[in-house]
Amino acid sequence: MSHLKISYDDYIVINDGQVTSEHLPSNVSFDDHTLKFTLGAPIALHVVLIMSKDYELTYEFGAHTHAEIIETRAINDEATLTRTINAQEEANVQFFNENMSNSHHKLTFIDQGNIDAYAHVEMGYAELSDDSIEANYHYHLTGVEASMKLRMAILSKEAEKKHYTINLEHNAPHTTGIMDNYGVAKDTGRLVIDGIGTIKKAMKGSESHQTNKIMVFDQGCYASANPYLFIDEYDVAASHAAAVGRMDEEHLYYLESRGLTKRDAMQLITYGYLKPVINVVDNEMLKERFEEALTKVGA
Amino acid sequence: MSVLEIKDLHVSVEDKEILKGINLTIKTGETHALMGPNGNGKSTLLSTIMGHPKYKVTQGSITLDGEDVLSMSVDERSRKGIFLGMQYPEAIPGVTNSDFLRAAVNARRDEPMKLFTFIRKLDSAIDELKMDENLAHRYLNEGFSGGEKKRNEILQMKLLDPKFALLDEIDSGLDVDALKIVSDAINNMKSDHLGYVIVSHYDRLYELVKPTHVHVLVDGKIVVDGGYEIAERINKEGFEWVKELGVEFKEENEEVRANPTMLGACAAKVVADESSKN
Repeated sequence: MSHLKISYDDYIVINDGQVTSEHLPSNVSFDDHTLKFTLGAPIALHVVLIMSKDYELTYEFGAHTHAEIIETRAINDEATLTRTINAQEEANVQFFNENMSNSHHKLTFIDQGNIDAYAHVEMGYAELSDDSIEANYHYHLTGVEASMKLRMAILSKEAEKKHYTINLEHNAPHTTGIMDNYGVAKDTGRLVIDGIGTIKKAMKGSESHQTNKIMVFDQGCYASANPYLFIDEYDVAASHAAAVGRMDEEHLYYLESRGLTKRDAMQLITYGYLKPVINVVDNEMLKERFEEALTKVGA
Repeated sequence: MSVLEIKDLHVSVEDKEILKGINLTIKTGETHALMGPNGNGKSTLLSTIMGHPKYKVTQGSITLDGEDVLSMSVDERSRKGIFLGMQYPEAIPGVTNSDFLRAAVNARRDEPMKLFTFIRKLDSAIDELKMDENLAHRYLNEGFSGGEKKRNEILQMKLLDPKFALLDEIDSGLDVDALKIVSDAINNMKSDHLGYVIVSHYDRLYELVKPTHVHVLVDGKIVVDGGYEIAERINKEGFEWVKELGVEFKEENEEVRANPTMLGACAAKVVADESSKN
């Protein structure tokens, strides 16, 4: 983490609950566990969380706010991070999460949130850390035409165990929840993704779509991608896809036939597979960091 | 001048012998046409030269300027100057054409090509092949029409500048205009430093690129060698006259390519530990 570059002009560094450094725009405030965003100029904020014990943090995006957030985590001990992320009416949020921890601990991430009417939240999770993760993300689409697009890129390697449960719950009509969860398992890594789309009764006109894919590198790893749709309404559109498999040999052959070594070919394919997560925000520094972290995939 | 030499090549797929003693010498500056009925081993020969793992060489040799090609990995063969324009180019989601092409170009250079130089070369090739201007940013062959995929193979050939280009049905899926563009590109690249081996089912491509050597491959063996006049005769009379030379063959249906179910197949869920049991 010592080499972490701050990605935006505005930032806040929170070390075990204490703000150690900050430069916040006038429409962002931090007050005891809550980052509050209010109407004003569009916000681009880098939040750095350094933790060695459990921590709770709330993001409160006010009505009509526009915000682009990068949250970078460095967690040095076994700990739980519990976050609440609320987007009020017509808020528009692009939110990228990266876990840069590398201390091989067991971490628990709990995210919950409400997305109000006409609000749109795009959430990207890059999880290339050296930790074992138990994560539970549960977002409620609480207002009409609320929408959420969630994308994950996960690497589980060596003896890491990573388990994710993601639930997008539709509690209002004409809401849209889309998730695309991409993972790579190698060595003896374990990766389980449970994607859940829940549409409650009378939430007509809602859409729930999910794709879960895990690429498996080695015999010793365990991977499982499980989509669930719980739908209690007829007038909806829903789809799910799940796939766990090895890298396509024909893809590798094609790239190798153009002179790429097997290692380079695997890296290129994996990179292309996980990379789209960074499109949630448009930030060059983030791209560089992500590329660097991706070298962990190796081959 | 470089020489690609194939001697007494025997190749099997899953214990079935497909090639039964191929002898063929190709020099740079020459254009060889490989003709013959479907299912007699033309594509097998090209894929074996490239090193597709499915094809097992049981006897014989392939050398490039005296070096043993068969002991080289696929990527090494490419870097030594062998290029295969594939019949069914793979679509690889997530990998952009520009990332892929740069990696391929740089794989054969000591110093990476300057980005500006690369873009200029790519743009000029895209222009010559009349391809989509956004090609660089699109995923490799993903969502490409059959004709676009084939043109993308030729584009790669242009950028990689091989010593020997093996083109496997590079004209299938091309309309008349695209065929002209592709054959012009093939002709424009002809030089003393490039040798072609071309497989096609249509005489139109051969008319346009005028092979210097023509070989007829039947039941895993080359049964007739000659010049362009052979292609003309096959064009007029089909392969029947070859039988009169005492060669027996039966035309097989083209092998249906099995598409393995891999990532991307909807709702195909395989738990990884199952595969580890095998």
